[in-house]
Amino acid sequence: MSDIATTGASPPAASVTRSGPAPRHRLWRLTHGAGLIFGLYVLLYALYAYQQPRALDAYAIAALVNNTAPLALAAAGQTLVVLSRGFDLSIAGVISLTNVVLAVYPLDGPGGALVSLLVCLAIGGVVGAVNGWLVAYLRLQSIAATLATMIICQGIALVILNAPGGAVSDWIADELTARLGSVVPVSGLVVATVVGLWLLVRRSDYGVALYAIGADEPAAALSGVNVRRTRFITFVGAGMLYGLAGLMLSAQTATGNPNSGTPLLLLSFAAVALGGTSLSGGRGGLFASVMGAATLTLLQKVLFSSGVSSFYTGLFQGVVLIVAVVFSGLLSRIGERK
Amino acid sequence: MTDAKGRPGTGERHPLSREMRAAGLSKSYGATVALEHADIALKAGEVHALLGENGAGKSTLVRIFTGAVIPDRGEMQLHGEPYAPRSILEARRREVATAFQELSLVPNLSVAQNFLLPALAGAGSPLISRRHVLARGADILARHGLGRIDPAACVGDLPLAERQRIEIARAIENAGRVLILDEPTASLAETDWLFEQIAKARARGVAILYISHRLAEVREICTSATVLRNGRSIGTVGLGSASDGDIFEMMVGHRVEHARRPARVAGAARAPRLAAEDLAGHGLRGVSLQLGEGEILGVAALEGQGQRGLFRLLAGLQTPTGGVIRVDGRAAAYRSPRAALRCGSGISYLPEERKTEGILAGLSAATNVVLPFLPRVGRAGFIGRHDEAKAAQPSADEVALNPRYLAFAIGDLSGGNQQKALMARTLATGARTLLLFDPTRGVDVGTKESIYAAIRAFAERGGSVLFYSSELPEIVQLADRCLVLYGGQVFRELEGDDIAEQKLVAAMIGHGSRAATGHVPAPAAPAHAHAAAESAR
Repeated sequence: MSDIATTGASPPAASVTRSGPAPRHRLWRLTHGAGLIFGLYVLLYALYAYQQPRALDAYAIAALVNNTAPLALAAAGQTLVVLSRGFDLSIAGVISLTNVVLAVYPLDGPGGALVSLLVCLAIGGVVGAVNGWLVAYLRLQSIAATLATMIICQGIALVILNAPGGAVSDWIADELTARLGSVVPVSGLVVATVVGLWLLVRRSDYGVALYAIGADEPAAALSGVNVRRTRFITFVGAGMLYGLAGLMLSAQTATGNPNSGTPLLLLSFAAVALGGTSLSGGRGGLFASVMGAATLTLLQKVLFSSGVSSFYTGLFQGVVLIVAVVFSGLLSRIGERK
Repeated sequence: MTDAKGRPGTGERHPLSREMRAAGLSKSYGATVALEHADIALKAGEVHALLGENGAGKSTLVRIFTGAVIPDRGEMQLHGEPYAPRSILEARRREVATAFQELSLVPNLSVAQNFLLPALAGAGSPLISRRHVLARGADILARHGLGRIDPAACVGDLPLAERQRIEIARAIENAGRVLILDEPTASLAETDWLFEQIAKARARGVAILYISHRLAEVREICTSATVLRNGRSIGTVGLGSASDGDIFEMMVGHRVEHARRPARVAGAARAPRLAAEDLAGHGLRGVSLQLGEGEILGVAALEGQGQRGLFRLLAGLQTPTGGVIRVDGRAAAYRSPRAALRCGSGISYLPEERKTEGILAGLSAATNVVLPFLPRVGRAGFIGRHDEAKAAQPSADEVALNPRYLAFAIGDLSGGNQQKALMARTLATGARTLLLFDPTRGVDVGTKESIYAAIRAFAERGGSVLFYSSELPEIVQLADRCLVLYGGQVFRELEGDDIAEQKLVAAMIGHGSRAATGHVPAPAAPAHAHAAAESAR
């Protein structure tokens, strides 16, 4: 009865006074998600450029982007799974596996690189399909299922290459770390392509379903969303992104290491959290995670150029992570009060 | 009839066969029988009520109709063709849709997106056009008299009542043949809008299944009713010929006596156990009240008039921005429910949201009951296997909770038994003041009677009860005194025989002069009321 006044007399013309929260200012939205982390990155880059005037050279930028790309792609994949309210540990296994495959079976020339790319995507896709099958259809908890596939992949990687060694094909190692027209880094283009694809996916039915099942799976199911298929596709897509991350990592290190994916495991979660994606699902975005990964990498560079011992890098990364999460929490609370 | 190809739109729509029939439906989960044998027939253009206690199998039946659950046995027919949906989408394709009690809206999506789930993109393009989605959403809203809602608003930001209306509008939109409304008024304070939409759907020839615990509402809109008890359909009656007593008897299996609590001595003589002076904040604008020993004080209000804030402030969940709370005559400043429980003679709170604020679904009912005083249950810090059940027993008896259920995980119990267990917990704390927020929300008649009896017995023993109810008959039956909140203030106070539904309704909509001191609040616009409800949450 609280709205006798409106239900009694609400011709369609009265739709001017709509209930619901007032639309927030456009500028205000910049403080959320990608906007916040983007601002942090720019700030950090300014600091870096201040310390190292050469940081603005095309060469330095390309080197930074090359360093960023593997973690950015891994975090992008992790974001998909986290948005669907899951965790994916197989990230470490897939990256290690693709890395040793590329180092032990190098395929030369652009044709070989294309085949290598397809092999990496296939490895990631198959592992993702297994994860998806275990989680979506057998209803295993995602941490348990992906922990198992991670261990299996690490095991296979050790079988293929039991100690660091091997050599990635020259074409991959050279061209994927090069600059187009001596300005645009190729690795940056790869990441940009992924972000561009994401912007399209986000506007598809699958994209909406992904956010829906992350926020409230029973409600999404009752709304007619095919929860299983959405979850399955998510793991497959994430796996393929890890495969791509493995390729970019191999291009950079040019060698094989059966444990190369391990450091990226926890950093991928840090990048996702830093990008403001909620670890309980349904909120956030892929681009923000890519920026989160870029920030973590840049932080390493800044600390290195400030002469801070690399032993302290982890400490600083942790502190930045906590500060960023607390800060974005504060901002969104202020936003709600507005 | 036996043509298995049956697609919607094809086939003859013979006037006689325009109905949905279900015969001998049953469904069990392991050893638990959710539905034993249900027969029901819904005619096009008719509103049919489904009545039954919680746990009688109503939800299972709804889920079977919607395709969310596949029955073990039994068959269904829709417009003369076999109907056996295996998914929600299949049911939707056959033009059967449900507005669920627990709401099936995704909170982080916009209103328009929720309307169009799971296929927003439309034919011909894999990409979603935001403009197109919003236009379609606005169109659906306008067609169901909800033009005031912004189709771009995030569902999670809307008040509960609006969400329920959106859920109902979406179901109506998808229901060409059968519309199922499961407790559609659980969060709606008024029924005008709903009944208008139902009338429109009826006129289109939609068969409507209406599930509600509010018999007055059912009588107003339905023509016939099917009663379920313990998973079996007991029978179908015409509502014109059956009395309330007949229906209760079918539901419960025995007659329910309705008696108003005998008049009691006026509260002035008793010492106030809980008193509030000029409380402000969280939707309140200066509320004073006194609750005496052995007194049952009711609170009546429309949605979002500050009642939620009042209870949460008194329970210690939120802190007031102004005013004083006195317990046993002494000023009290507690900042948590735990502190409130230990303050003076103790204050115990029964929260509104059973699922999110009340139960711990994975633990047993006994554990849920004894949780507030767990340290007292164990011996030397350890809790034996039967200690919890033994400690929970007395208060479980008080609310007539079957002791068999104490060992079950509370999440597996029916809503009514969950509520009984929570009520038992509230009593078992030993607090002398109870704050009960809508203690019988969405529970069946039998459970209601048990809870009423427990509240009365508690007051007889000298306990004090402050309760809010969205159902006026409950206040009329139980309360010694009643406060009507309006616009965050006490608009009127009624006592004894003055507590009658007509007077309550008049005061709730701000009609008549205010009894208490202070200025008359301006009639709150709905947007404000909702905002207050939202901020109080």
